[in-house]
Amino acid sequence: METAEAGDPARGHGGQMMNAFAQSAAASPSAWKIDAVFLFIAVVSLFFFLLVEGMLIYFAIRYRRRKGAEEGATSEVRGNFILEVVWVLVPSLAVLAFFIYGYVVYRDVTTPLPGASDINVVTGQFVYEFKYPDGRAAMNELRVPAGKPVKLIMTSRDVIHGFFIPEYRIKQDVLPGRYTYLHLQPDLEGTFDIYCTQYCGVGHSTMRAKLIVMPPDAYAAWAAQGEGAKAAMSPPEKGKALMEKFGCMGCHSADGTVKVGPSFKGLYGRRVELAQGPAVMADEGYIRESLYDPGAKVAKGFPNVMPTYKGSITDDDVAAIIAHIKTLN
Amino acid sequence: MEKGRGAGYGVYVAVFAALLVLTGATVGVSYIDLGIWNVAAALLIASVKATLVALFFMHLRHEGRLVWTFALVPILFLALIIGGTLSDTLFR
Amino acid sequence: MTENTADGTMLSGGGRSRGYLEEKGFRSWALTLDHKRIGALYLYTTLFFFLLGGIFALLIRIKLMYPGQEIFSNHTYNVLFTLHGSVMIFLFIIPAIPSGLGNFFIPLLIGARDVAFPRLNLASYWIFVAGILVILGSLLRPMDTGWTFYTPYSAKTAANVTLLSFGIFLVGMSSILTGLNFIVTIHTLRAPGMTWHRLPLFIWGMYATSIIQVVATPVVGITFLLLAMERLFGVGFFDPAKGGDPLLFQHFFWFYSHPVVYVMILPAMGIISEVIPVFSRKPIFGYKAIAYSSLAIAFIGFFVWGHHMFVSGMSKTAGIIFSFLTFFVAVPTAVKVFNWIATMYKGSITFESPMLYSLTFIFLFTFGGLTGMFLGALATNIHLHDTYFIVAHFHYTMVGGTVVGFLAGLHYWFPKMTGRMLSEKMARWGWLLTFIGFNLTFLVQFYLGFKGMPRRWAEYPPQYQSLNIVSTVGSWIMAGGILVMFSNFIRGFFRGDPAPANPWKGLTLEWQTASPPPTENFEEIPVVTDWPYGYAKRKTAGPPPRFFDRGAGDG
Ligand code: HEC
Ligand SMILES: [Cu+2]
Repeated sequence: METAEAGDPARGHGGQMMNAFAQSAAASPSAWKIDAVFLFIAVVSLFFFLLVEGMLIYFAIRYRRRKGAEEGATSEVRGNFILEVVWVLVPSLAVLAFFIYGYVVYRDVTTPLPGASDINVVTGQFVYEFKYPDGRAAMNELRVPAGKPVKLIMTSRDVIHGFFIPEYRIKQDVLPGRYTYLHLQPDLEGTFDIYCTQYCGVGHSTMRAKLIVMPPDAYAAWAAQGEGAKAAMSPPEKGKALMEKFGCMGCHSADGTVKVGPSFKGLYGRRVELAQGPAVMADEGYIRESLYDPGAKVAKGFPNVMPTYKGSITDDDVAAIIAHIKTLN
Repeated sequence: MEKGRGAGYGVYVAVFAALLVLTGATVGVSYIDLGIWNVAAALLIASVKATLVALFFMHLRHEGRLVWTFALVPILFLALIIGGTLSDTLFR
Repeated sequence: MTENTADGTMLSGGGRSRGYLEEKGFRSWALTLDHKRIGALYLYTTLFFFLLGGIFALLIRIKLMYPGQEIFSNHTYNVLFTLHGSVMIFLFIIPAIPSGLGNFFIPLLIGARDVAFPRLNLASYWIFVAGILVILGSLLRPMDTGWTFYTPYSAKTAANVTLLSFGIFLVGMSSILTGLNFIVTIHTLRAPGMTWHRLPLFIWGMYATSIIQVVATPVVGITFLLLAMERLFGVGFFDPAKGGDPLLFQHFFWFYSHPVVYVMILPAMGIISEVIPVFSRKPIFGYKAIAYSSLAIAFIGFFVWGHHMFVSGMSKTAGIIFSFLTFFVAVPTAVKVFNWIATMYKGSITFESPMLYSLTFIFLFTFGGLTGMFLGALATNIHLHDTYFIVAHFHYTMVGGTVVGFLAGLHYWFPKMTGRMLSEKMARWGWLLTFIGFNLTFLVQFYLGFKGMPRRWAEYPPQYQSLNIVSTVGSWIMAGGILVMFSNFIRGFFRGDPAPANPWKGLTLEWQTASPPPTENFEEIPVVTDWPYGYAKRKTAGPPPRFFDRGAGDG
């Protein structure tokens, strides 16, 4: 009875996943890939679970002594080296398999998807704000066209928040002062929950948003209709204007010519050799750091003369500048 | 166990003086711009000071193997917390 | 039974003396240097906080019975889960076995008259009490950050974070001193002939535990100091706006808080290693494997803290390293479980309450441990992290493991500590209700977590409702079981049958002195001649196994 009871959750989860597999389409590839890892670990663990609890219960019954009965003769055996080696090695191999499979799928679902469109996410107590490349913005509602990959570039205005889509099986904390990313492949149309998973204050449990995956044409229609509501300029345009205003182009160029500093042409996604050491990828985080703390990572072959824009530039401005630099590829 | 372990006031006063000098050095170094090496220098001086305190004021140099083991092994854990955290910050 | 007193009556010194309990009065307790009395003080204190933390838990469950339950505000709920976690972890689980049972039984098990530094021992108790008072003081503006204190929230909230963390700083201080005391005691005060490989396995567990306490606890102390400096003086260690890094706090915090789960579980495993052979009447299987696996767990336990941070924004490289290392803590743990079960093989097993709890420990802990596999693997962790799956997992290991192991120890050693027997019938009822209630409460939470319900939520969407009702009802059954158990403790303490010196026919040294033990523990310090697990009963009649001689004078 005990075995059945405690075995149930594993079986329950197994059953759950069977359904996920049987469905013709999972909400996202990340969902079935991670469910597969779950199923694999569940099956192997269930084997060990039944083995251990089975032996425990069997020995308890088989070698029990009745009340008041004479103490039975027991063996004097104190150990067995070969057995010890076996039960060190077998679990080691099992956990090694868990690690490798878990790692492979993890790498898979955290790798940027080719052709993804960028959406900026800004969290604050207790809302999600989504900013689209064409300048539209929305609160607590993320609309995306089905079939097209999306990259979420997330940062927080105040404390740490979480970004969790249970149906996609993925989550990522959202930090102040930094970017973190999520890569979505929305396959299935529908509405999905987004939850905050990092305790952030009194409204934590009501900090929820919706992911709405729309048919591509319906999405296009929605985007066109939202045209009027969007900001005066799209982020790249705004970024371009800002960079002129802040005088970036005195030292940088958009067309590949090297001035005081490196050119922005082809910068995004390139590997940048650093004066301090190994090369880094020029991603959103790198560009952001170049603006806030230019001395932290100095491009090789250039003088460390770029001024910091910390304090004079907002997070929104930074996001816009990044969006513009991306268009120069 | 045995009495009169301290080698007299002389040694203690010398160590105390050395600690003062090193404190001065920490302050001095902070005025020179060595880039990232400022941190290294500060840590190095601090470690030397800690070693002096442990050896002389805490009598480590009179102790046996067991006490030395207990004094040194935690340094491994210090390396561990620094290394583990760097495995995050260096590869972000 | 009655004639079978060969081991039992050897030392019980005739007329019933109340042993170390003889002296009465406040001063005799408050200023005692007797490790047994200090241990008892710790036990009273921690058991009180166990009940208090339990009441918080019941309130939490009531709030979660319905999606938008309005019985008290969401803020109150947030305070309650913070208090539940902080009280249970810092004021119950961490001190209960090491400082409570450890203080009482380490000297008895190694054949010493006291711990190495009795005054330090007393000081550590009173520092613990001071810590408790500071924590109570923080309740004036109670904290709502969760027991994990994550920055920047904890640096910004208006609640009394500084006071609470200072209280925990003091409690940690006490835990460092206790650990230090135990290490020195085990190194220097073992009875003559008690070599390292003749140490009872509880001592091995406590030794490993003490090392963790001494090495890891200072880190959390310093972390809380940094947090206090950030709150009081605006130094930006963790504030990105000032060049700090919020993840640095998480690294520091988990560098302590992960190893500390082994502070909780290793002594419990030590208790199980004592109880299983006694009630199976068989030598422990794989003594060295169990002893060294404690050290291995303590050591590897320091390398895995990053598995709490896979989705925190930590680098992928660090995630991969930490996931890999995490899995290898599982191996020495599995080794222990296999050895316990092998000990039962061909034994002659009886099921008195200590054994019942020990088997429950193995049963629940195995389940809890296996669910940890899903959390150690990177891919499944990104789904399950910060959901109820985590809540269920750590309650299976912390309650199903540590607390059940602690209860096994309480039932096992109750006759020794009080000189009275518990009612076996009540112990069984208490066990049954707790077991059923526990599984009802937490089993369903695995499923809730898999379906995506985040932890620390005061309200939730309606699709999670039905299982939350099951969980809440389970918590009531469990509370009933604990009520029965505590009534049994109180009844046993005042009116239980007088206990013989050795009711379970154990061979370890605590059973070779009176129940309750005299203040100086042993009339004469025993001389140890063999390991303490010679329980096998040979088919041919022969002298009962002995592993010590008496009368070689004081060591
Ligand atoms: C005084 C000249 C100067 C100004 C003005 C200036 N920069 Fe720079 N910038 C540099 C130099 C020199 C470097 C290369 C050295 C370094 O990495 O710090 C650089 C590096 C960068 C990089 C990293 C490029 C790479 O290839 O590694 C980025 C991104 C950048 N700047 C963006 C900006 C933006 C955006 C602005 C305007 C808000 C700006 N800079 C204003 C001089 C300048
Ligand atoms: Cu949040």
